[in-house]
Order: sequence, then structure tokens, then C-alpha cells
Amino acid sequence: MSTAAGGPASGGISPNNIVVLGVVGGLAGIYLTMLNQTLDTTIFSFLGGIGAIFAAVWGADAVRRVCSYGLGTGVPSIGMLALGMGIVAAMFGLALPESDLVTLPNFLGPIISFITASIMGLIIGIMANKILKMNIPIMEKSMVEIAGAGCLVMIGLSVVIVGDFRFDEGIVPGVITTGYIALVFIGGAMAMLHPFNACLGPDERQYRTLTVGVEKTALMMVLVGVASLTEINAVSSALTIVIGLIIFVVYFKKFLEATHHDAYLITGTGLLPTEEELE
Amino acid sequence: MIDPITIVLITLGGVLVGLGVHFIPVGGAPAAMAQATGVGTGTVQLAAGAGLTGLISAGFMYNELATSAGLSSSNMILVMASGAVGSMIMITVTMFIGQLIYVYGVGVPPVSAKVKKDPITGDVQDIYVSKGTEGHGVPTVSFVSGTIGGLLGGLGGSLIYIQLMNIGGDHTNSGIVALAGIFATGVFYVNSVIASYNIGGTIEGFHDPKFKRVPKAIVSCLIASLLCAIIAVPIMGGVS
Repeated sequence: MSTAAGGPASGGISPNNIVVLGVVGGLAGIYLTMLNQTLDTTIFSFLGGIGAIFAAVWGADAVRRVCSYGLGTGVPSIGMLALGMGIVAAMFGLALPESDLVTLPNFLGPIISFITASIMGLIIGIMANKILKMNIPIMEKSMVEIAGAGCLVMIGLSVVIVGDFRFDEGIVPGVITTGYIALVFIGGAMAMLHPFNACLGPDERQYRTLTVGVEKTALMMVLVGVASLTEINAVSSALTIVIGLIIFVVYFKKFLEATHHDAYLITGTGLLPTEEELE
Repeated sequence: MIDPITIVLITLGGVLVGLGVHFIPVGGAPAAMAQATGVGTGTVQLAAGAGLTGLISAGFMYNELATSAGLSSSNMILVMASGAVGSMIMITVTMFIGQLIYVYGVGVPPVSAKVKKDPITGDVQDIYVSKGTEGHGVPTVSFVSGTIGGLLGGLGGSLIYIQLMNIGGDHTNSGIVALAGIFATGVFYVNSVIASYNIGGTIEGFHDPKFKRVPKAIVSCLIASLLCAIIAVPIMGGVS
């Protein structure tokens, strides 16, 4: 069940650059959807999806780094853990400014979610190494990254559906009550766990893995775009769907090219022989 | 505002989930090729499948029994029982159908490689283990163990759900129901993944030597669930 490799993943863009890209890109995408409220429209909802793509690429890279040590339970488990932590933290962060407990401005929601997710990730990472004795040197750091990315993917995809990250006005009626949260949960986990799960092996390469990450999240963006048809107006939804499809096609082509580039030989095997030909 | 008993009960629910995962016979990828005892998929998938079914049956029961005043203690037991039965049905059906495929499709006898004799039936095990494998199929002891796992997981999951719903207070508000459901799912996933990291891939059930690692998982799940509970309680109280 464990992955083939037993050492740190290497090559490509450095982890620190990806972290910056994920955090800044993810939060920027989510915050730019505030243009919706400023200009009283929903047309900027797709920016949440772009933010989710940045965050998911970061998450996929963190999954890639930690899973190359071999977890013993398969790659999907870590994606589910990421979104499990992410969903609890995201709901907490978004709901806190609206609750009676503290008085905070609404726009702090995503940042509170992100910090909460990081703290949860850190505690679970420390437990994994100290109590469960998994002995993966980068476990604590990776868990922080995975939880943070999971939380941003969650919020990003949810914002695409309603175009608003405020809890009582947007997320509860548009994403939670309608049940789209389940789609966001599983789809977001897929976007983070699938790239490494699909590309793992001795010839795994960062560029190819992350291309799958972009392509998968773009596909999720199309799906949440379809879901948003019931929540925001058709023009905004169509824009999300079209942009998602364009990113999907572009990056799927890049993935195919990367696969062809990495392969030793590409050869056509022809069709299977018919029964007459076999006789 | 923040009720300590609720937090304790949610934490207990999380620990029950983590404990329950250790009972489920998980074979992982080797079992998918009939080279290890258990059902051929990962811990998280099995636990989540059973857990979510439990959550649905618990939710159905909650909706039937809840009044505007909330849920009485005796009704709480009924909801938990409903959740536990839902989980048990899901996991036993999975094991049974898997068993049919192993026996009649792959053609291997259900056998454990970890014990010489089945602790429940007393059947000899070791002579039936194919060379180069770590057992195959779901022997009686693993089946019973898996059912216990479903029971514990279902109890834990529905306990979390009930507590969250009780704080929410209004079972007719679909926002509260959905939020409690998705929170319970999140806590469930976190605990089942932590437990599966403790198992490290495959386990046959309570007779497996790996089962002795349970205390470590209980400590970890306790900390993780406590964290989730502290976060979840104020939110559920705050939804309008």
C-alpha cells in the first residue's frame, strides 16, 4: 500500500516558492471576490476558483513531498485528512466574525480560517511524529501546509458557488443548506490528493504532478460553476464554467505533453485483433 | 454558552471513531489482490463508508424523534443505536460481498495469517494460507471484529452529530442540519485518518498484534477531537 519511494522528493520549483504562491494566490483569489459586494454584482465569483487552483497546487505539492516518504495507508487518506481539518477550520473562521462571541470585521474570516487550519495541522503533525511515531521528518511542516491549503481550497470553491464568503449571507444559505458543501468537500480533496496519487512512482516529476493539480481543480471549478447556476445569475456561472474549461483544456494538453516528454517511447499498438484475424 | 459536557461528549465520539477503525479488517492494496486478510481498500474509505451510512441513519432517527425542545436522553440512545446499526449493516454487507468475491471469484479460502487458530471458531488457520501471502478473505474473527468496528464507529459518529444538533437547537432548519452533518463528517475523517496512520496500512481485527497500538491512537484522537469540539461548539451555537 505504501508508495514506492522512501526518501524526500526533489527537483522543480522550491517548496518555499510554492508556499508563497499558494498562500498569496489563494487568499488573493478569495479576497478579490469582495469586488462582487463593492460593485453589487456576482461576475467576479470565478476569482475564488482561481484562488482555489493556486491553493490546490500548493496542497498537491505538499502531499507530493510528504507522501514520497511512504505513509503506509495510501495517498487518498491525506487528502481526506486535509479537507477534514480544512472544513472544520473554514467554518470556524468564517462564522466567528458573525457570531456574538467577538466583534470582528467580516473580511477577516478567510484569514482566521487559514490560521486555525494551520494550528490544527501543526498539532496533528506533531502528534503523528511524537505519539504515533511515524518518523517522517517533514511531517509537521507538511501537515500545516496541507491543512492550510485544504482550508483555502474549501473557501475558494465555496465562494465560486455564491460569490460571497460571508457566513450568514453567503455560505450558509448557498453552500451548506443546499448541500453543495459535500461536492466541495470531496472535489477539493480530489484536487489535492489525485495529482500525486496518479503520478507517483520512481519517475514522478514535480511539473507533471502539478499540471494534474491545475487541471483537476479547473475541472472542479467547472462543476461548482454548474452548481452556482442555482445560486447566482447565469452570466456569472457561465463565465466560471468557460474559464474553468479553458484552464482544464490548456493544462490537460500540457500534462499530455509532459507525459510524452517523460516517456521512453510512445508507440501505437493498433486495435485489438478481431476473432477472424486470430484464427 | 460553551457547555463542557457537550465538548466532552463530542471528544468521546471522536475517540470511539478512532477505536472503531482498529476493529475493521482493512487489507489495503494487497487484499485487493487477495494477498492479505481483510477487505481490499484503505482504512479511510471503509471507515468513511460505514461512518457516513451511520450518520444518515442517525440523522433520519433524529428527525423522527426530535421535538422543538430538543432530544430527551432516552431518545438520544435510540438515535445512537440507529447510527450504530446503519454502520454495522454497511460494513457487514461490504465484508460479505467481498467474501463472496474472494471465495467464488478468486478462489481462496478465508484465512488469517496472524493466528494459528481462529479465536472464535477454533478452526485451524495456518495450513490454508497460500505461500507468499499474508492470508486472504475475511475469516470469522475478522468479520466479527469488523462488525464491532462498525458499532463503535456508528456510535461515535452519531454521538458527535447529536451533540452538534442539540447545540444548533432547531432540527427543522436545514442550515443547522447540514452544518452539523458536515462538521461530523470532518471530525470523522480526521479521526479515521489518524487511526489509520496508527495502523499503518493493514490490520485483521482485534486478534492482530497491531491492535496493541490502540492506546496511542486513543490519545491522538482525544487531542484531535477535543480541538475539533472546541472549534465546532461556538459555531453551531452561533448559526441563526
